[in-house]
This record gives sequence, C-alpha cells and structure tokens, in this order.
Amino acid sequence: MSAVWQVSRAAVRRRRLQTFVIALVVLTSTVALVVALGLLDAASAPFDRTFDQQRGAQLTATFDPAKVTDAQLAQAAARPGVAAVAGPFAQAVLTAPSNTAVQAPGVDAPPPGPITVVGRADPAGPVDRVDLWEGRWVERPGEIVLMRPPGEHYGPNEAVGSRLLLPGAPSLTVVGFASTLSQSAGAWVSPDQMPALHPTASQVLYRFTGSGTADQVRAGLATVTAGLPQGALLGSLSYLTVKQDMTATANAYVPFLLAFGVLGLVVAVLIVANVVSGAVVSGYRHIGVLKSLGFTPNQVVAVYLVMVLAPGVVGAVLGTVLGDLAAQPLLHTVFSGFDYGYFTATLSPWVDVLTLLGMPAVIVLAALVPALRAHRLSAARAISAGSAPRAGRGLRVQRWFGGTRLPRAVSLGLGLPFARPGRSALTLTTLVLGVTTVTLASGLSSSVAAYIEAGNDHVQSVSYVGDAEIGERAPTLADAAIEAKLRSLPGTAQVTAMAPVELHMVGSSQIVRGWFMRGDSAGMSTAMLKGRWASGPGEVVVASSFTAKHGLTVGDHLTLQLAGREQGVTIVGETVTGDADQVEAPWETLTALVPDPGTTRYVNQYWVRLAPGTNVDAYDAALAAAVPGLYPTAHGGGTDSLTVTIVGSTTVLTLLLAAVAALGVFNTVVLNARERRRDLGMLKSIGMTPRQVTLMMVTSMAALGVLGGLLGVPIGLAAHRLVVPAMVAAVGNALPPSMMNVWHAPALALLLLAGVAIAVLGALLPARSAARLTIAEVLRSE
Amino acid sequence: MTTGDSSNAGGTEAGQVVVHLDGVRKEYGESTALDGVSLDIRAGEAVAVMGPSGCGKSTLLNMVAGLDRPTSGRVVVNGEDLASMSETGLALFRRRRIGMIFQFFNLLDDLPALDNVALAAQLTGVSVAQARRRALELLDELGIADRRNVYPAALSGGERQRVSVARALMNRPALLLADEPTGALDSHAGEQVMDLLIDLNQIGQTLLIVTHDQRLATRCASRLVEVADGRVVRQRSLERTA
Repeated sequence: MSAVWQVSRAAVRRRRLQTFVIALVVLTSTVALVVALGLLDAASAPFDRTFDQQRGAQLTATFDPAKVTDAQLAQAAARPGVAAVAGPFAQAVLTAPSNTAVQAPGVDAPPPGPITVVGRADPAGPVDRVDLWEGRWVERPGEIVLMRPPGEHYGPNEAVGSRLLLPGAPSLTVVGFASTLSQSAGAWVSPDQMPALHPTASQVLYRFTGSGTADQVRAGLATVTAGLPQGALLGSLSYLTVKQDMTATANAYVPFLLAFGVLGLVVAVLIVANVVSGAVVSGYRHIGVLKSLGFTPNQVVAVYLVMVLAPGVVGAVLGTVLGDLAAQPLLHTVFSGFDYGYFTATLSPWVDVLTLLGMPAVIVLAALVPALRAHRLSAARAISAGSAPRAGRGLRVQRWFGGTRLPRAVSLGLGLPFARPGRSALTLTTLVLGVTTVTLASGLSSSVAAYIEAGNDHVQSVSYVGDAEIGERAPTLADAAIEAKLRSLPGTAQVTAMAPVELHMVGSSQIVRGWFMRGDSAGMSTAMLKGRWASGPGEVVVASSFTAKHGLTVGDHLTLQLAGREQGVTIVGETVTGDADQVEAPWETLTALVPDPGTTRYVNQYWVRLAPGTNVDAYDAALAAAVPGLYPTAHGGGTDSLTVTIVGSTTVLTLLLAAVAALGVFNTVVLNARERRRDLGMLKSIGMTPRQVTLMMVTSMAALGVLGGLLGVPIGLAAHRLVVPAMVAAVGNALPPSMMNVWHAPALALLLLAGVAIAVLGALLPARSAARLTIAEVLRSE
Repeated sequence: MTTGDSSNAGGTEAGQVVVHLDGVRKEYGESTALDGVSLDIRAGEAVAVMGPSGCGKSTLLNMVAGLDRPTSGRVVVNGEDLASMSETGLALFRRRRIGMIFQFFNLLDDLPALDNVALAAQLTGVSVAQARRRALELLDELGIADRRNVYPAALSGGERQRVSVARALMNRPALLLADEPTGALDSHAGEQVMDLLIDLNQIGQTLLIVTHDQRLATRCASRLVEVADGRVVRQRSLERTA
C-alpha cells in the first residue's frame, strides 16, 4: 500500500462528515443528471432506432392518378438524391363505422371516420417495412390488415378473423395487425382488392440520401415532384412531422429536466470545489506535515484528489443506480400514450456510462484548483499558518459591523463571511442556485397548472354515452332528449353536446379529428392565443400545435371531407392547448358535412358547466339515475398525469437541489467552526452563551441567504422565461403572456426568503455543534 | 538506546560538514527574518540555536530542512545544495536526509501512532509490513509500543512527542531537526525527551535544536548558537550538564 493511498484512505475514513457531504452532494446531482439525460435520450433514440429498422418512409407522398402515371412517378423517383423508393400503391379513403364509442373512460375503441387503405402485396420492401405483429399479410381480395400499435386492439371484438363492414366496400376479413412508424396507412389490402375500393390516390414512399432536416426533406420532395403535371401532388408527410408528434410529450420534459440537470451539476461542482477547497485550507497543517515528511507536491495533490474522489465515486455510482430507478417510472409515464406502443423507452447504457465517467471527471476538475493550491503551498508556511485565517482579512468590515447597534453576536456573524471571501462566494453562489431552482420550480408548476387548466376550468361534469359493443348500457333516450334532460336537471348552468368525428383534410395524408359542439358552445371557449372562438358555420378553431404542424395561421382556409362530402372552413382562432390534429367547430359545420347528423349517434359526450355551489358528485349521481346509459364523471379540479409528472418531478428535483445547497451551507459552517475553534473558545471564555454562538454562526449564513434570495429570484424568473416556452414549444404549442405572468408580490417575497431558509436549515446543526464546544476541548486541540 | 544504526546516519562520516549555511538571507515582504547567516554543523554534533522570539530561529530551521527557500545565500545539507532543487527534489531530500521533531508534534490525526511512524519509511518505497516492523521497534525502544494503535488525539503530550521522534528516526536521517521539542510538554515528559535526544547524539546522530529552553540546550547540545535580529551573534561550545 503506497503512502499516498494510506494517508488518503485514513482521511476518508476518519473525516466522516466531509466524506459524507461529498458523497451526498454527488449522489443527488447524479440522480438529477441521469434522469435528465435519460429523458433526453428517450425523447429521440427509440423512434430513430425503430424507424431505421423499418427503413421508414422519410417522405410519404400521394399523387392524383388522373394527372400522373406510375411511369412518370417511377422516372421522378430515379433522380439523384433518392436512396430508395416503394410504390406507387393505390390508396383509398374509406369511412369506418361510427356506432362505437370514442374516448369513453378506459376504452380504446376504433374512432369512426376515414381510414386510409393502401393496396400492398408485401409488408417488406425497400421502404416502410411494415411490422406484422399478429396474423398474416393479405393474400387475396376480401382480406384486410389493420394498422395498430403493437399488442393493441381497439375493443374486445377486434381480432384476427373478425369481419369489417365499411360503407361502399365489400365485407373484409381481418387477417392480421401490423404497425408502421411511417404512418403510411390505416389498413392494407391486396392490390387486387383496390379497384373495388375506388382508389383516389397513388401513394409513393421515399428515402433520401440526406434527410436530417426539414429543408432536406423539402428538397427531396421538390426533387421527386419536379416536372410532374400541376396538381399531381395531393399531399405529403415528412417523417420529421411524425417524429415530432410521437416524441412531443417526452420533449416537453427535456427543457426543464435539462435545466434542473444543469443546475444540479453546477451546484455539485460548486459544492465539491467548496468542500475540497475547505479541506485544503483547513488542512494547511496536514499539508505541511505531509511535505515535511517528504511527500512531493504531486503526492500531496494525489492525497487530496483521492480524499475527494473516493466518496465522489461512491456517490456517483449510487446516484446512477438511484437515477436509473427514478428514471424508469418517469419514462414509463412519459411514453405511455397511444403512439408509444410502437417502441419501448428504456434508459440507454450510454447515460450510465457517461454519468459514471463524467461525474468523477467533474469532481476531479472541481478539486484540482484547490488541490493545486496545496501543491504550491510552502511546507513552512503551511505548518506555521496552521488553520488560522490570514490576519487582517475582512477586519475593516468586521470593525464596521462592530460599531453598529446590532447585538454583538449578530454583528460578529455578519462579519464572518468577509474573513473567507472565496469560501463565502462559493457558498453564496450555491445559495443563489438553490433560490433559482426554487423560483424556477414554483413558476414552472404555476405555468403548467395554468396551461393544463386552460382547457378544463369551464366544465365540471362530462357524461359519456354508453356503448353496448363494449359491454356498456346504451342510452334509450335520443340525443336531443338527453340534452333536454340535462338542461332540466337542477344545478345545470350550461350544456354542450360534443361529437368527435374523424375527417380527411384535403391536401394532407393524415386524418384530423373534428370536435363539433352543439348548445352552449361559447362556454367551451378555452384560453385563446390568437383570434376568437368559432361561433358560426364554416368557422373552426385549432390549437397552436395544429397551425405549427400544418403551416397554417388564423384566417387561412382548409377543406374538410367526410364520406365524400366537402366543406370549406376558416380558422378564426388559435387555442393554447389542444391536439395538433384536431379542429373545433360549431354544430353547423357538421351539418354541412352530414346533412342529417341526427340519424347517427355522433354525439358521444355531454359537457356540463354547473351552477355555482353545485356539488359535482351529487349532480353526477342524479344524472346517472335520470339518464340510464349515460356515464357522468367529474371533470377538472383534479390533475392529469402530465401535470402530476411535471409538478411531481419538479418538486422532487427542487427538494434535492435545495437539500444540496443546504449541505453546501452545512459544510461551510463546519469549516468555519473548525477554523475558528480558538476564537469560539475565547468568546465563550469571556461570557458568550451557546445560544449567542449559534446565533452568530447562523447569522453569518443567513446574511448570505438574503443575498442569495436577492440574486437568485431574478435569475429564476429569467430561467422560467426560457424553460417554460421551450417546454410548450416542444409539444408544438405556445403560451399567452397571462400564463407566463404567474408571479405575485407575496409569492416573490416568500421566494426571497427561500435563500434564508436554505441557509438557516444548513447552518443550524453545525452552529449548535459549535456552540456546544467546550473551552477545555478547544485548548486541548491547540 | 539503539534506535537502529543512527551512527553514521545518512551515510555521513564523523566530523564531516553536514550543514553549511553561507550568507543566508530570508525576507518576508519588508521584514528580514535572516540576515546573512553563515553556519557549519559537523556530523555527530548537537547544536542548539537560541534567541528571543521572532529572531529567526525557526526560519533558520526551515531553511536547513528545505521547507523554505532563502532569498539569497547558500544552504548545503549533506553535500546537496538545496537552492538548486525543485520542490519534488526537496521532498525527496527531506524524506531521505532529514528527520523533524516539532513543538506541537504535527502527527497526522487520521493515522494511529504506528502508521504515523511507518509512513516515513513507506514514502521511500519500503513495504508496509517492513515499515511497520521497524516502526514497532522504534516505538518499543521509546517505551510506547503498547500505544501503537492509538490515534494522536488520545495520546498524552509526551507520548505524542515520542511518536514524533520515532517518525523522525525512521529513515535514519543525516540530520535530526527539533523545533522547541519540549515546548509543549510538562517537565517530566520534557526530561524524557531530553534524555532521548542525548542518547541519540551519543550514538552519532547529528542534532540541530531550536529552543528557548536554556536547560534543554545545556543538557543536549555540544554547541550553542545564539541568534538575534536574524543574525548569528555568538557561538560557543557547551559542556553537557547532567
């Protein structure tokens, strides 16, 4: 065993407090880092991996067969820049049965509306290798394979062998279920079947030599459509759009987790630097002894690095394990949505490897500066200086405080930080970051809550229409009678009947869902980002994510198609929340698409705003009794999983970082008390009480806490301005200023006190310990 | 008292100059700690340096130990010019040639007595087992072998100083430096340390002792060097008293 190792090991074992503080600080920071990196990786890697395995279509284009021939398409696809091509495949849009419930609680039922059906003889091929996860591929007319996320069926009746009745099409037998990340079709039939389905488009799937950016995909589209007759291209879909859709929720977590990860990392570096520099300063005599014994400067540096690295590595390893454990449920929550059945999000090994290598590297870097001080320190000075601070430092400030009318313990405490300005600066920075974290977290939670509430605060009860096909009781009353019954119930203020209908948007290969509202639809108005709520026929409102995805804006026109009928509509407003494939419109727009919507039960839910003071549970019970077949549930007031996850993980990370900041203060007070044992003994010998000693030590940190609050709150506000819009932008939405201005004077005052709270929390224990120091003990140590 | 082969310690012959200071000057900012000190110490000598507080005694000791560098002048110890050495070279020099005893012992609080002593040998590449064997021999000779597993904080002042002496002797140094070795001890423990130093010198160990204690000087030293204001003001031979 080398002398360096022996001395380091002894220091690690004997200096338990220092060892414990370093290990704990590194552990908590590592947990935050693993979670942040894990989410960052999960947000993109699983999609890319699966997409590459399937040789997914980077561009799905549909062409009008009346305007362009297959030969022309093949010729265009042979141009440079096209790496692979599949198709043309005949494509038809059929309308699925509408007699099934949609969005009933706990049920995944097939949405009624259009299904894009493509004729393909083979699931494999150079592009878009469809994953057939159950049954077999279509072999002859009369068979169909449905696109479903792996392992998922829509309702209990959906199985291989079941029959599908689509209006205007022959009866089809389901022979298999398949998935594709390319989202190229909702179902596949054999090419021989297509003529009977009356195809309206030719689908071609492309992969390009360069496709990493939207510009490259656009350039690819320009390449394959150059020279084709005008109007030949009906629509196109970039894989980047699909990827954005599928990873949006996960992406929402990344900005704030990264912010917390970076904050955690910086706090960890600062505290490690503070701990190590404190160890060096308080270890002057130790360093002097080592050097007088013949330790070379490099050996002294090695001793101090090992002293810090040993608990640091333990903290990093444990932190990685705990981070893995913490990240898994979070990943599960983030990726548990509909689209994520395509892939399983797991923590990549590189996250653990990077953390396990990176954290010790950070510790070494943080330790190097103070350790190099030990390297340079002359042995004679180290031994003679002992642990006393240099004379004269901060004396002027301390003298000034001494002249004030403050109690002596307080004035002495206020002067203490000036005796070790470097250490005080590091502690102050830690406190600033602690307050920044608390400020960011509280603002983030308020904004997220406001964002989630934006679509929920106007309705207290939502009743779903029962569906006999999934074992529920269907209502006996007709749609209009149900609405009338609802309006007659005591406590009802407003009623809106909601009809979700899948629509085809002309010019796009994707399906959009229309929410058609009847009744008091003005009351449904959610928080608007731009424009106004839809009130008349031909008007729709969409979410900001919709306009971003489809390149539209308020005032633009689009054409909706259902069962062969078309209706032009105008976007009159943009809402804060909502889906990127969803439009909201008044009932009149549905009647334009379906002349008599009353013949089919389109309405599958009734939204009710209750009169003030009405008990929601009692109301729902009365409603269930009054209208059998209606399943009322309380709406709003609770929190959805996104809110719970974001607010929950924010709280956990904030507590972690605040605890780490308090540990930094704890360490500083321990070092100060250790260095000032002689002063403390002297003060006690002339009559300072233990309580006054505690007050003095706590005051020294509380003063830094006040400064930490004054600096940390504005930085936290700025971080909130950066992080929250980035999160909302990640899901394709935007926030109105009202949701960003979540701060009020009392809340800000409390946040200013957060620094003092962290400082006092960290200082109290070692301050009390210093107060208990006996004079005899101090003299003995001298 | 054998304490190993302290005679001919560090490979020096009796009468050979072990320490040669030539016009050594040391300044700290505007104050001068040493002002042109010249001094020779021969192998086997026991030299005591005395003088009032702040006269430069400890600075002189630090120069000889290679713990500090002179502003000007030469410091040659055992034939090696310390001014030409790097920090690493000085460290290697100290571990091979110098043993130091301090007023406040300067033991490593994290190591028990035995490991404090053994550490000095381990630095020179001696195995742990071998170093501990020799450390135990030394502690035994100094009468504190039974305290080998005790940490410094639990040792008495006299015991700590004996551990410190054992550590200083581990590598059979050419020169044993003692800075107020009895300054923190009671009279009984002080007497024991004095006896120890006399025994060491009698078997050939070269000693340089810095002290305020006239009794320590006259009991242990064969020559007295008096320093005032950073200068050697007088040197005289001493007859050891009992």
